[in-house]
Amino acid sequence: MALELEILGIHAGYGAVRALQGVSMQVRDGETVALLGTNGNGKSTLMKCVMGNVRPTSGQILLKLDGVPHDLTRLSTEEIVGLGVALVPEGRRLFPRLTVEENLLLGAFRREARPHIAKNLELCYETFSVLKERRRQLAGSMSGGQQQMLAIARALMSSPKLLLVDEPSVGLSPLLVSNTVTMIKQLKEKHGLTVLMAEQNFHQAIRIADRGYLIVHGEIVFEGRTVEELEHNDMVKNYYLGTA
Amino acid sequence: MPHVAHPAFLVLGAYATYALVGLGMDPLLAGLLLMPVFFAFGIAVYQFYYLTFERRGTDLGVRGIAFFFGIAFIVQVGLILVFGVDQRMVEASYIGTSIEVFGDVRIPQRMIVAFGVALALTITLALYLSRTFTGRAIKAVAQDEGALRLMGADPVRIKRWAFGIATGTCALAGALLIIVGPVDPNLDRLYIGRTFCVVVLAGMGSMSGTLVAGLILGVAESLVLASVGTAWAPAVAFGILLAVLGVRPAGLFGR
Repeated sequence: MALELEILGIHAGYGAVRALQGVSMQVRDGETVALLGTNGNGKSTLMKCVMGNVRPTSGQILLKLDGVPHDLTRLSTEEIVGLGVALVPEGRRLFPRLTVEENLLLGAFRREARPHIAKNLELCYETFSVLKERRRQLAGSMSGGQQQMLAIARALMSSPKLLLVDEPSVGLSPLLVSNTVTMIKQLKEKHGLTVLMAEQNFHQAIRIADRGYLIVHGEIVFEGRTVEELEHNDMVKNYYLGTA
Repeated sequence: MPHVAHPAFLVLGAYATYALVGLGMDPLLAGLLLMPVFFAFGIAVYQFYYLTFERRGTDLGVRGIAFFFGIAFIVQVGLILVFGVDQRMVEASYIGTSIEVFGDVRIPQRMIVAFGVALALTITLALYLSRTFTGRAIKAVAQDEGALRLMGADPVRIKRWAFGIATGTCALAGALLIIVGPVDPNLDRLYIGRTFCVVVLAGMGSMSGTLVAGLILGVAESLVLASVGTAWAPAVAFGILLAVLGVRPAGLFGR
């Protein structure tokens, strides 16, 4: 199934605050695209726009499935999830007073995912063995790293075609960040996913990205067609790494 | 938002059962048959609440509670207008007889029936909440609506469904209420305190806790009733409520 996400001139904001000012970008089938930028530059807002949580004031977000375009700015979050888009939200947003397994089963709520529930559950437990050991434990009682694994696993339970990951590194130790990012790469290869990852940890993000965009103050200021282009770009060094 | 009209729906269920028994029906059968009717009624009440309050974001704080208090008063006054203020009760083969356990100890049959049906209803509900997609979503919607959306479920639909189920159980529970003893239109006031007590004692979202807390409250009320006097029985629920809030705010079985 051919998939393409095309974001065209998105403007969005909260009240008087303009968070996104004409953002355009593309994610093609099978790619891992990194959306880079420090805190408060609009990464999460863009993710929320794609998921229908925040309505853009103008612009289009087109998800093309086998050439059929769906304008996500006109669909509800539930409908977008129904198309096969899953978000691992910032802060994980687990159901803390439900068990690990109940969280995973909720991930498979969308109709298309229900027939594959046994297979997906097995895959999740295979990938994250700690989740299997703790499947009867309440999600809120686990460590930050384990919760992040659960959040990713829960998103995979919906059999997504496009996986959005918002700041997987927040609140995790450097080793766990590295593990999580590696895990996303492995899962992506195993499931044939297309991934858009918003991340402020530049070095971790470019480890698994095919290419990326740099967002500053709600605008895409640089598009790196390869990881090398991102690493050697003066703007990236200047705005982001502080090493120019 | 505490649904303070729930006890009023319970009493409404008791009176609806009373009306059907008047036509010659068994009270338990009446309660079962009324469940789908009450389910639909619950869906309608939630939809009305959603359109007039929740969707406009005006359900926060005291206004949402005021809405449900209003509904409770309407039910109460409606019952008084139709049935009068007198106590009502029903007849059935298992009411007014008792089973000898040993020696002088006898258990009224109506209590055994009520206990058995209540237990079955609770177990069915617990299984529904843990084994079905909608059931799990009902548990999740109370914790994080936004996250539930990301799972592809519409929180409003889930809450409407949950409200329908809760109101549906009021039909059968109301039948049990009038099987156990006489009912009057103002009985729901007693149950507001009892509901808070059971929920807090059990801890939010714990079904097994709810069952145990209900038993604890029931036994405590009976003991006070028998030893101190009937006038003190309503104080038991609030007494336990205060004690639990002071000692263990998460409840006995709080997660």
